[in-house]
Amino acid sequence: MASGCKLLTGKTAVITGCNRGIGKAILELFASHGASIFACVRREDAGFSEFTSRLAETWAVKIVPICFDMAKPDEIKSAAKQIAAFKKPVDVLVNNAGIGYSALFQMTPANNLKEVFEVNFFGPFLFTQYLVKLMARRKSGNIINIASTAAIDGNAGKAAYGASKAALICFTSVISSELASSGIRANAIAPGMTDTDILVCLPEEVIPGNSQAGGTRKIMKPSEIAETALFLASDLSANISGQVIRVDGGLL
Amino acid sequence: MTNAEKYRETFITLFGVTKNELQKLEYQGVDTWDSVGHMSLVARLEETFDIMMETDDIIEFSSFLKGIEILRKYGVRL
Repeated sequence: MASGCKLLTGKTAVITGCNRGIGKAILELFASHGASIFACVRREDAGFSEFTSRLAETWAVKIVPICFDMAKPDEIKSAAKQIAAFKKPVDVLVNNAGIGYSALFQMTPANNLKEVFEVNFFGPFLFTQYLVKLMARRKSGNIINIASTAAIDGNAGKAAYGASKAALICFTSVISSELASSGIRANAIAPGMTDTDILVCLPEEVIPGNSQAGGTRKIMKPSEIAETALFLASDLSANISGQVIRVDGGLL
Repeated sequence: MTNAEKYRETFITLFGVTKNELQKLEYQGVDTWDSVGHMSLVARLEETFDIMMETDDIIEFSSFLKGIEILRKYGVRL
């Protein structure tokens, strides 16, 4: 790839949930476009270390793994402090880490509901509070929240997960307004069904490709979600904020 | 420049107030110290003193003097 085609050269991104699925695809794509990256994972294992080292070498970028649990406020703060200690400007934050959950609302125990909200909403909320301050110092920043079409469509079995992602979409809209004067924009991506581990949570009859699924349905690839994240992270979308972009292949 | 001078200077440059006004200066006491100005103040102080404030402290930071008390909690000698 010619360097002129790289959209994130000179930018630093923080991406959560980097060890698989959409987060891993965003990590790969952002690195290939020249971004330095704080790659956040819950636990770093040998495979992830090797993966990030190889990626950093291939694209001549710096990738720093940051380990913390999105459900633990103390760890979130500690992670933000680690990132701040590098004294590097944070240009882009991608709140991608999340957990899936599928059950009819009458079959959803309160503890599961809380757990889903802790990881999918409270954690990103808190992490953003900390990192936004690093952005505000430079009057510049860009937040991308990975939500879900489940937040919009009201799919059966998605009361907890969909509500947590709907909260994330509302959060995106609010911070877009509140942070505009600080030069920070915020957008959300609402992926349709995507080929990640979260698919395991879905009933078989709704998974595209299965005989009972609707004909126009398509399973998105993580890389297809990452491409939209790249657009939102780049200056190509410099005047876009407060939006939710569905990436669902026309799922009806 | 001492920490106290840096602290005073932050308010003076950010909110356009004079040194004489500082002791009685409170959140929303001048037009420039509104909610947006408050976040700019926090960002500037965190950068100046290399700290990361808790949300509760950001909320309680209601005046110039209260801010001194809060920053001391983070080990800033004022």
